Amino acid sequence: MERVWKWFAIRGRSVNSIAYSFHRITGIVLLIYLILHLGFLTSLRFGESLYTAFISTTVKPETLPLDSLLFLATFYHAFNGFRVVLNEFGLFYEVRRALIYLMTLLTLIFWIYSTYLMYTYVVR
Amino acid sequence: MEVTLKILRFDPLKDKKPRFQEYVVEVYEYTRVLEALIWVRENLDPSLSFRYSCRMAQCGSCGMLIDEVPRLACKTLIKDLGRDEVTIKPLPKYRVIKDLVVEMDDFFEKHRSVKPYLIRKNREEQEKPKKFYVQLPHELQRYLNYGYCIVCGLCSSSCPNFDSSWEYLGPQALSQAYRYIVDSRDEGFEERYEVLNSNSGVWRCHFASECSENCPKGVEPAQAIQMLRRMILSFSFKKKLSLFSEKIHRLSKQ
Repeated sequence: MERVWKWFAIRGRSVNSIAYSFHRITGIVLLIYLILHLGFLTSLRFGESLYTAFISTTVKPETLPLDSLLFLATFYHAFNGFRVVLNEFGLFYEVRRALIYLMTLLTLIFWIYSTYLMYTYVVR
Repeated sequence: MEVTLKILRFDPLKDKKPRFQEYVVEVYEYTRVLEALIWVRENLDPSLSFRYSCRMAQCGSCGMLIDEVPRLACKTLIKDLGRDEVTIKPLPKYRVIKDLVVEMDDFFEKHRSVKPYLIRKNREEQEKPKKFYVQLPHELQRYLNYGYCIVCGLCSSSCPNFDSSWEYLGPQALSQAYRYIVDSRDEGFEERYEVLNSNSGVWRCHFASECSENCPKGVEPAQAIQMLRRMILSFSFKKKLSLFSEKIHRLSKQ
């Protein structure tokens, strides 16, 4: 357990390690989401009413911030993953730090735009 | 200026668990952490244990965790830390023998496992070379930066992958493998291939690149590992392709 806590340690770490820690954390978040998602879909086998009951607890305006956070985790994991792939092919190694900032910026832009769209459609 | 050194101490004969001990030291503009530690041992507490040898960032003995960052004590100016309390701990990921002294047997064993020396295919030539191996400046440049490694262990102690896998060879051993593989005088890639391509080899790296950030000599182990991956992928692909073409050739003869 002590080793898992080290993922959250920030002091003495460079921005590269922090990006690495966030990548792991967002990966776990996405895994949990995927399990829940598959669980919801599996509930269809036990009847429509059970599925509807599940969906009605999660798909509503009050849970929209959670959806927004899920998008944040997804965008971060995707963009940072792309950066890691580039670096692991030996590309852009010299500008690895700048690449982290660029990917984080892209994450924030995509996240803010997707949240804006989400709220726009729900309000409508 | 007075600075408090907060040192994590542990004596396996006396202590059940590590404890912090504080020492107040008078420091000047160019006082390094190692000098402050030597002063403490000579004037305040002779029982304080730490390793050092050259005092000029050449031997790699005085690696320790200074203010949560792995650094060489002989290279770290106290004024650069910008604090009047400096925390000093033994290097993480290694077993503590006493105070700031850690056991590095496993680290050196991993270093040895990648055969960090020039290998020639001709064994006789390896043992009794008959000529000089001429090397051009651009051939030297390919590995020069990796040759600056002083085997201090800071890169491996800062690598987060060791938190989940002790078997991992680590950035130091892998960067040294790369240093010899790209040396124009070396012919040992195939000999090192198995260990580099194993479960504890290059594929364990997840590119946190903390090793490159903390290297006191500017070696880039993270880059070396990624270049090794490329080489291994290319070699494995060629190997599989030749096996496949051999198989096709055999089948066509039947």
